[in-house]
Amino acid sequence: MVLIGVFVYGFIGNTVWTSMTDWGGSGSLALDPEKHFIGLDNYVDLFTGFLSGGFRQDLVNAVYYSLMLLGGAVGLGMFIAILLDRKPWGEGFLRTVFLYPMSLSFIVSGTIWRWLLAPQGGVNVLPTYAGLKPLHFDWLSSTGAVLVFNWQHLFSVLLYVAAFFMILLGLWGMRHDPRKAIRRWLVPGIVVGAATWLFGGLLPDALFMEEEHGFNLATLGIIIATIWQYSGYTMALYLAGFNGISQDLRDAAMLDGAGEVGYYRHVAIPMLKPITISAVIILSHISLKMFDLIFAMTGPDNAETGHPALTMYLTTFRANDFARGAAIAVVLFLVAATFIIPYLVSQYKQRRRG
Amino acid sequence: MADVELRQVVKRFGKVEVVPGIDLKIRDEEFIVLVGPSGCGKSTVLRMVAGLEGITSGEILIGGRVVNQVSPKDRNVAMVFQNYALYPHMTVRENMGFSLKMRGESREDIATHVAEAARILELTPYLDRKPSELSGGQRQRVAMGRAIVRSPDVFLFDEPLSNLDAQLRTQMRMELRKMHLRLKTTTIYVTHDQIEAMTLADRIVILKGGDIQQVGTPIEVFEKPANAFVARFIGNPPMNILEGVFRICDGKRFVEVGKSVFPVPDGRGAVLADGAPVLAGIRPDSIKMGDSIEKLPREWWCRGEVVVSEVLGGQSHLEIVIDGENELIAEVEGRVVAHPGEIVPIGFEFDRMALFDPETTLAVD
Ligand SMILES: Nc1ncnc2c1ncn2[C@@H]1O[C@H](COP(=O)(O)OP(=O)(O)OP(=O)(O)O)[C@@H](O)[C@H]1O
Ligand SMILES: [Mg+2]
Repeated sequence: MVLIGVFVYGFIGNTVWTSMTDWGGSGSLALDPEKHFIGLDNYVDLFTGFLSGGFRQDLVNAVYYSLMLLGGAVGLGMFIAILLDRKPWGEGFLRTVFLYPMSLSFIVSGTIWRWLLAPQGGVNVLPTYAGLKPLHFDWLSSTGAVLVFNWQHLFSVLLYVAAFFMILLGLWGMRHDPRKAIRRWLVPGIVVGAATWLFGGLLPDALFMEEEHGFNLATLGIIIATIWQYSGYTMALYLAGFNGISQDLRDAAMLDGAGEVGYYRHVAIPMLKPITISAVIILSHISLKMFDLIFAMTGPDNAETGHPALTMYLTTFRANDFARGAAIAVVLFLVAATFIIPYLVSQYKQRRRG
Repeated sequence: MADVELRQVVKRFGKVEVVPGIDLKIRDEEFIVLVGPSGCGKSTVLRMVAGLEGITSGEILIGGRVVNQVSPKDRNVAMVFQNYALYPHMTVRENMGFSLKMRGESREDIATHVAEAARILELTPYLDRKPSELSGGQRQRVAMGRAIVRSPDVFLFDEPLSNLDAQLRTQMRMELRKMHLRLKTTTIYVTHDQIEAMTLADRIVILKGGDIQQVGTPIEVFEKPANAFVARFIGNPPMNILEGVFRICDGKRFVEVGKSVFPVPDGRGAVLADGAPVLAGIRPDSIKMGDSIEKLPREWWCRGEVVVSEVLGGQSHLEIVIDGENELIAEVEGRVVAHPGEIVPIGFEFDRMALFDPETTLAVD
């Protein structure tokens, strides 16, 4: 316990403290470097500083990256698991095939995918085998971006997103308990959305200048590679879960008229909610810590595919700006916490109820 | 409501023939109980009727319609499983309403049907609980509720009470009986509990190795077992079966078992010749002691030594030896006092004795 206290929480504390100093620059590698407490300046600079646009892009990247990885790996893994759960011919062999990518190190798979996604190789030439024209998509070096928004309007964008999800939740909840759904989610969601639209201009600008960020198409290649690597893992999780569901339950669902699709939709997948939650937590972690794969696929200095963890490494150990590196680490830590804390809270509530 | 018919139904798993070809007609509103030793194919037969297991050959008809190619959900049968198979993530209400929801019924209809079923089964206070928050008996009732909400043509039960303790089992048995009297839904019920079979069934089907040994009312299979297997399987304690020789002497007919002589009343064993080997079956409860032997003819009396006695309260099970060599189990009234080692007068209801051919083990009329 003491060791855990020292090594985990002590180091977190130390990092937080470091992030509030000005440790960095020319004298930073001295035996006894000068450190001055400067409060939250590092954070302010990261989010609003003129030269930190790269970090902001990284953060946006990380968010898109996490969302797509979650959707992709969970969705694909579940889909393959369902196919395998139907006990096709050669199930055991196929399972190994799908699980295999997991055992590769990111550096190896990164290199494989780098080659596959190279402008003139791999995936782009696939259509030529079918007599079609080759693709000309620059998977890893495209400079295009979609879903662009202005960092200046960060607050309104966040509010729109929040409103969107509240309305979505509300509509979804309508089926169970319409009154509660309307009161809790739908009405506040609409109010927030409308208010942002009407009075969004009053919100303070997050930045003194226009700065566009969006989903860089170049990250697509990395996302595909990660999904490829991790859907085997989610597949294994789901397959184990599906196998654990008793045959009787499946039979009962068939007699109740659920059919194959209904069985998975109403019985099997809801029953595996704990697995989905762990998969989401593990994957969101991985995506936040993603480092080696990006390093291997596009190298450390490709701004389009930057990622906070990578930037943190570069800032800390290449630029020797320890304080800023620590600040990035703390931001990542907080983002990770926003994924996990709701889970812990719900677990705690359930424990108390049960 | 529907009748069910099995015509030459065969089931093979790979090369293993589990059901060699059975014929069975189940009338509308009938309560049929399938019994048999473990692994004899009871569950398999049930699952074939449900459509959960394909049949290798033959035909299954429900309500006069051949359902070989009909999927389980379109057969309109409901099944209650031994471990209940409730959906753990759904509340009792959702569990019971699930089949209606899948059939696209309106929310109001589902609510009415679920409320009605919950009322019958006294589950109303538990509707918003999850199965994990219920006792075994309550779960059992939810499983039944899930079956009755959609008014199926046929109920299938696979040992539904075997996970309950003895007291609850007795209570649920009564409720099942009442439920059937009220709903009159054709029912096929698998059990290996003797008492369940005897008390619930309109007719009992005894299976062995996937083959039907006998179909009959509880009294028929008890009093007139079709073969020695049924005789031993039905009834507890099991029937005493002794190897003997059939004799006709001075117009009197009897079975000789060692030194013992069991008279055969007129009209029985008519096809047997003198000296034919035969199995004599004597129900433990057809052996009498104490006052009740007075009603029996004198020549059906003899003396026996009590070896062991098990007092159960209402009755006692005794192991007795007659003529110094033939061991018999007797079931006598509890108030008859018999101590081990005592020699007591006993009487036999020989008119209830069953005779079997030792070769085929079939009953001999
Ligand atoms: N899927 C299967 N594949 C191969 N053999 C099977 C399969 N299902 C059942 N069997 C075999 O069929 C036979 C009958 O099984 P079944 O489950 O119908 O028995 P049962 O009468 O219900 O037994 P119990 O009283 O123990 O439940 C058994 O010998 C079993 O091993
Ligand atoms: Mg069984």
